[in-house]
Amino acid sequence: MRISAGFKFFLCLLLVACARNVPATSVTVFAAASLTDSVAKIAAQYERATHDKIVFNFAGSSLLARQIEEGAPADIFFSADEAQMDRLQNKGLIRVETRQSRLSNLLVIIVAADSSLAIAVPRDLTNTSVVRVALADPQAVPAGVYAREFLRKENLWAAIEPKVVPTANVRGALAAVESGDVEAAIVYKTDAAISKKVKIAFEVPRADGPKISYPMAVLKDAPEPSAAKRFLQYLNSPAAGKVFAQFGFIVLDAAP
Amino acid sequence: MKLLLRNISLPLADFVLEVNVELASQVTAIVGPSGAGKTSLLDLIAGLRRPRSALIQLEERVLTDTACGLFLPPRSREIGYVPQDLALFPHLPVRKNLLYGCKTSLPRGSLFSYEHVVAVLEIERLAGRSVTELSGGEKRRVALARALLTSPRLLLLDEPLAGLDAALKARIIPYLARVRDEFQVPMLYVSHDRQEVQALCDEVVELERGQVRSQANQKA
Amino acid sequence: MSQEWQIVWFTAWVSALSTVLILPAGLAAAWLLARHDWPGKSLAETLVTLPLVMPPVATGLILLKALGRRGVLGGFFHDTLHLDIAFTWRAVLAAQAVMSFPLLVRSARTAFAEVNPRFEQIARTLGAGEWQVFFSITVPLAWRGIIGGMILAFARALGEFGATIMVAGNIPGKTATLSLSIYESVQLGQDAAAFRLLGISVALAFVAVWSGEWLMRRRRGLYETPP
Repeated sequence: MRISAGFKFFLCLLLVACARNVPATSVTVFAAASLTDSVAKIAAQYERATHDKIVFNFAGSSLLARQIEEGAPADIFFSADEAQMDRLQNKGLIRVETRQSRLSNLLVIIVAADSSLAIAVPRDLTNTSVVRVALADPQAVPAGVYAREFLRKENLWAAIEPKVVPTANVRGALAAVESGDVEAAIVYKTDAAISKKVKIAFEVPRADGPKISYPMAVLKDAPEPSAAKRFLQYLNSPAAGKVFAQFGFIVLDAAP
Repeated sequence: MKLLLRNISLPLADFVLEVNVELASQVTAIVGPSGAGKTSLLDLIAGLRRPRSALIQLEERVLTDTACGLFLPPRSREIGYVPQDLALFPHLPVRKNLLYGCKTSLPRGSLFSYEHVVAVLEIERLAGRSVTELSGGEKRRVALARALLTSPRLLLLDEPLAGLDAALKARIIPYLARVRDEFQVPMLYVSHDRQEVQALCDEVVELERGQVRSQANQKA
Repeated sequence: MSQEWQIVWFTAWVSALSTVLILPAGLAAAWLLARHDWPGKSLAETLVTLPLVMPPVATGLILLKALGRRGVLGGFFHDTLHLDIAFTWRAVLAAQAVMSFPLLVRSARTAFAEVNPRFEQIARTLGAGEWQVFFSITVPLAWRGIIGGMILAFARALGEFGATIMVAGNIPGKTATLSLSIYESVQLGQDAAAFRLLGISVALAFVAVWSGEWLMRRRRGLYETPP
């Protein structure tokens, strides 16, 4: 049977493409939505240095925890609060010796970049000119839980709760302000930094705000535990710390 | 009755229907083999189809005139139509079928009143029945009555006796004669059977493959 | 528990309202597609079917862009009528209406196409105007398919999720529907609540379909072609 030259060429291309797509090892990272840009950049650096490939699933930490509970094949869980990590630890789903936290963040109140609303202090959110306030779902998603904690402390939660539009994750709250469908939102300072369509109306001082912490751990049933540990170590390295700081995260004392 | 069918041209599946006649009798038959275009001609007269070209005029009223773009919709033509499949509305009882187009503004006892039509066609006792319960002959009388109750200026009958056995035909023909005599409505009667039209019709037009083959006055 | 009944009640009445609202346009579209040939017909057919085959979240995104405060429609409502659509019950209504519309049109169209045109023609010769023909002949003879279409549309509205969450969000007490609440409960690990809501969803769908079958059975004996 004669095979045309064109077909042979096509077969070669296919083989080359397949060869290039087979990674050395693939590490799956389930990470909070607020970490999207920073972790992606760090992973790109890591991929260039080693031959491992990093695969992501960015979403609200509560959803990720649920997926892991249901057996999702993840190697690393990088949560936006301790509660979601505790949830998995209590079910024996993480390798406790790998658990560590070294990132923190700040809460900010944002409005649309072209907004003329006068919001200078959190109490201004109770004004009638503020009809809707977007929060990542305050029942479960860390960003929303932190925001609720803060507003409760300021005795503003009762007045603001009826105005809340819950979103699936913190980036959803950001998008809601960008599109103009809500007057304001409470997100992380790092989220406000990546969008040109919003501006920060108020930054919650570290001392007044809730204790924000981003724990990470290798999962007990991780398909690639050694590769996962290597990447976890890289996430804690000074090189990664520099990237996190660039995006506005607060890097706590690095592990030795 | 004066019915002008001038320069009618309607392309059909295998041929073009072309008719150019003037009908002046009370009851005219249109005979011809099946597929000759008879039903299409009735559809054109009733306004259910648009011709490529035509001038159709009933008495002084122009119904279709393609030359000046005139086309009167079926509801304004006052032409009653009893189609071959009768088309009795299955979701309405007989009485509602009859009254569908009834001009209720007519005084009782007048020629086309409900009581009169129903009496002439002997369908009083059928009024409350469902259409599906009727026999073949009963259905035909109901369809006839329904068309009559609109006080039409012209009645079109498409194969009213098709599919009936001889005995039933013999029973229905007197009713048609009654309609002709009692209501004085001009009728256009389509059939493929020359025999049955002999008794009823004054004029016979022969149609074959869309062409008028002959036009003869019976009562000459 | 009362919060759950609030969710059920909200979902049921918005879905019912959505089904009723799409009826005029749905029947009109179905009739136009069933009876006539006109320029642009295949484009219209495609547009009507689109919500059926596109990913619901994609449709939801389009709705969000259109109905948000800066959107084509939403902007008009917000600025001129001082009415918000996105993130209110109106957005739930819009999402359900758009997603269930194709189902109604498809069923009704088939039903209309099966009505023998001869009935409509004879009705016209009997003096009926077009609207009278439609309501006294066409619709009654197509009743079965129309009811079937409405049941399908209602069930689809009840279960709507992807488009709803995009354009209306899941705001407790304001836009939380059964489907959104099941999802939320699962996310929060509240499995008991999730299964309760699931049970109610199944019961609602069952009642809807059973009622439809019963309605259609009552009209049994109706056939479209004359004896």
